[in-house]
Amino acid sequence: MKLRSAGVRLLALFRRRKLDRELDDEILAHLELAERDAIAAGVIPEEARQAARRNFGGIEQMKEDHRDHRSVRLIENLARDFRYGMGSLARDPGFAAVTIGLLALGIGANSAMFSIVDAVLLKPLPFPEPERMVRVWEAPPGARNGTTTLTFLDWKRQGDIFEALSAECPTKAAVTTDSYPERVPGKLVSADYFQVFGVQPQIGRTFARGEDQPGAAPVVVLSHAFWQTQFAADPGVLKRDLVLDGKPHRIIGVLPAGCFDRDQAVFWKPLIFAPEQLNRGQHWLTPIGRLRAGVSLEQARAKMTMLRASLNAVIYQKDWGFAVDRFTQMLVGDTLRRSIYLAFGAVLLVLLIACANVANLALAKGATRRKEMALRTALGASRGRLIVQLLTESLVLCLLGGVAGVALGSMLLHAAAPLVAESLPFTADLSMDLRVLGFAAAAVMAVLILTGLLPSLQTSFGKLSNALNQAARGSSGSSAAVRRTIVIAEVAASVVLICGAALLFKSLAKLQQVDAGVRIDHVITMSADLPSAAYPTPDSAARFYEAVVQRIRAVPGVEQASVSQGLPLQGVQWGESMSLPGTRESVLVRLKLVDPWYFGAMQIPVETGRGIETRDRAGAPPIVVINQELARQVPKTFGIANLVGRAVDIWVPGYGPIPESLVNLQIVGVIRSERTAGLHAPSELVAYVPLAQFPRQDIKLEVRTRNGPAAAMPGIREAVRQIDPNLPLGDVMTMEQVKEQSMLWARQPTWVVGAFAGVAGLMAALGLYGVLAHAVTEQRREIGIRMALGARPGEIVSHTVRSALAMLLVGLAVGLAGAFALTRALKSLLFEVSALDPVALAFACVLMTLVGILAALIPASRAAGVDPMTVLRNEG
Amino acid sequence: MSEYKTDVPYGTLDLLILKTLDTMGPMHGYRIARRIEQVAENLLRLNQGSIYPALIRLEQQGWIRTQWGISETKRKVKLYSLTRAGLKQLTIEVANWERATALVARFLEAES
Repeated sequence: MKLRSAGVRLLALFRRRKLDRELDDEILAHLELAERDAIAAGVIPEEARQAARRNFGGIEQMKEDHRDHRSVRLIENLARDFRYGMGSLARDPGFAAVTIGLLALGIGANSAMFSIVDAVLLKPLPFPEPERMVRVWEAPPGARNGTTTLTFLDWKRQGDIFEALSAECPTKAAVTTDSYPERVPGKLVSADYFQVFGVQPQIGRTFARGEDQPGAAPVVVLSHAFWQTQFAADPGVLKRDLVLDGKPHRIIGVLPAGCFDRDQAVFWKPLIFAPEQLNRGQHWLTPIGRLRAGVSLEQARAKMTMLRASLNAVIYQKDWGFAVDRFTQMLVGDTLRRSIYLAFGAVLLVLLIACANVANLALAKGATRRKEMALRTALGASRGRLIVQLLTESLVLCLLGGVAGVALGSMLLHAAAPLVAESLPFTADLSMDLRVLGFAAAAVMAVLILTGLLPSLQTSFGKLSNALNQAARGSSGSSAAVRRTIVIAEVAASVVLICGAALLFKSLAKLQQVDAGVRIDHVITMSADLPSAAYPTPDSAARFYEAVVQRIRAVPGVEQASVSQGLPLQGVQWGESMSLPGTRESVLVRLKLVDPWYFGAMQIPVETGRGIETRDRAGAPPIVVINQELARQVPKTFGIANLVGRAVDIWVPGYGPIPESLVNLQIVGVIRSERTAGLHAPSELVAYVPLAQFPRQDIKLEVRTRNGPAAAMPGIREAVRQIDPNLPLGDVMTMEQVKEQSMLWARQPTWVVGAFAGVAGLMAALGLYGVLAHAVTEQRREIGIRMALGARPGEIVSHTVRSALAMLLVGLAVGLAGAFALTRALKSLLFEVSALDPVALAFACVLMTLVGILAALIPASRAAGVDPMTVLRNEG
Repeated sequence: MSEYKTDVPYGTLDLLILKTLDTMGPMHGYRIARRIEQVAENLLRLNQGSIYPALIRLEQQGWIRTQWGISETKRKVKLYSLTRAGLKQLTIEVANWERATALVARFLEAES
């Protein structure tokens, strides 16, 4: 019955006119009959008509009652209010434009930011049962490390823990495109790699069991994007080969479009272990696995701990355990997580400030509409009815603002995605999907409540007679107080943001001033990978290094050139244990492989002993140069006074399929520390071994130039081409760019918070301006009188500015209290700056005050320009 | 208005209308109002217009239905009549009313 009645009522909405007409007919018939009966009873016609009407009661009232009963009154009113709201917006387009603009900005920035939050932190990974995906490590105390081939194979045999376990190893291979060799990134993976992700190929198949065993035919799986660009999405691609480093590989499958396109790799080929790699010395694998269904993380960890105990006899690092971590967790680092929370918090504050501004505008508008509202109350509109009407007007604004906001947000996201993609995990799909739209809708509702409810309560409360009397005079009562409070809150929120931004900028500035330990300017760097086919032996690689440095140095404009594995600030790939022969002590050192010219080109001075020289070539006694940090710390561990001159054992990576080996090296010198792991990271313990003695295929070239480094690039390319025409150069970057990139983690949140703080400050200033401008308009009469009595324009200006300052100061005090409470959240993102740094906080306060005073000067000067004669004549 | 007239007891207009339609058969709004006034013998103060909102409510509940007829003044009017559900509702409302008056009566007796 309920449903039926609801249905009938809804239907009645659309039949309103017809039902009204029918009711009119019925009333007419009723009155006629009543009149006729009365006449029949002997009443004279005139009186009969009146009696009929009297007995009927109030016709209009009854009609209203009738409408209430027959249809959904709320909706009928809503539709009317909606039209009315549109109309009143059209009458005041300035107000509408500013309001919609503010809301669009707030909602747009929030939707874009939410999309990032959602993609990185909330959405489940785009793989089936992502909670079963894990990373498996060897774990030195308090750290995570890769594992060795044999240990990995031991893990892989644990079928009761892992459904699939795969190693993955980044690689690059030369692919010839348009007759120009290009190195494209790929991955070497175990055959069950795609089972770990639970990914089915779009066409073809992924690797079969056994395809990662020695002797298997070379096969390759392509990413969807690579298939489209390189093979023009040829459906017959499975019959074709991909030539990698000159060797044809049969294409067996293409992955679906999606997250694997955001990964760097464009091809995957089986990781086949060479016999020499089957050792427990070289920690080069970072396996990823899928737990067997029903195996919990805790169970897996417990089983791995038992396995570790059973392998104690064969694993060298006695204090290293095995660790299992959720893949999801490893995907998003702490810094990224904090940065995202921070940016989202900042953008929420911006939305709140935007809401405050809109509410303030609505209040100001409400004040001028008080008379209209009072009149409507007098005519019988209930208070609830008026509130609903005002809320409907707000709803119109919020919906328009929301639609504009979603459009703006999707533009922002489109613009920001390429900038932030590098910092986000490859699984993060940034798009304006339904979830983001849902969030935007929720934001609109929240905004509606925040901006609509307060002004409508404010407007429709209060005594009728007061409103009718006051409206003409324009005296500002409680409404002005509320508006002032809102502005103070805006200023406070902005101060919190500006304080945060000031701290982050100061931290960034500090970071920028850190001495990298190398000379950054006028250096250009590039990478190369020596293919095994052309450089099969360590000697062939060593010959290349020497020749390429000679040739590049001859290029006009080039001062110095060097070859190394890895660049300053980018981290050192190899972490190996170093020990004194005959002792049980060992320390974990970063191992860097450099040629004799590296220290010179990067201007790293030798402190004691000697650096690496040309005589340290293959066949000569192996040597090592250590950095100051290592020279300072390690004697303590080993219990000796001086390391220089001593011989130490270090695991040194091999060349190509040649495995890592334990080498006895003599320490010949100490160099000043360079920042190896980024400007913020303390100096690491670094050992430098000659690249000529321990060559690598993946190398970096550093070239110091006399003038602009970019100008020397063509000459450098030509020089390399003369030595090896088939060797492509990649990752061409100046050291300045390398430095910038190493600061990205600090730069991105800083600029995001900075931008939001700027917007927030401007909005607060706008709010302040609005309140003051309104006050000046309302007080024109008072100002006129005061000027007529002899007040000078300067005094009028200072009066307005003083009232601005009062609001600003209260806002600053509240904001600073907030900043004290909230900037602690920044701690992990700040570099050598306290979360309560007085200079930064003071700067934020001064900035806010200046912006606020500027905003106050406009209405103040207008107040000073009031002509007493005109005002008094007009309003007297 | 006369002193002794009373308003329609709260919530009973529906009952009065249903009972009227039950005894008199299909009739239009004016006749229903007149019939209620006549039965009440001028003890009741009824705004005749107030039965129309009540009629639309009862119609939406499905208790009465309308059909078009011609009035004595040759005008097209709606004739209201009881549905089966309305008949059932009438017995429920009568029972409710009797229960309520019995309750009140018992209180009044207990007081004296």
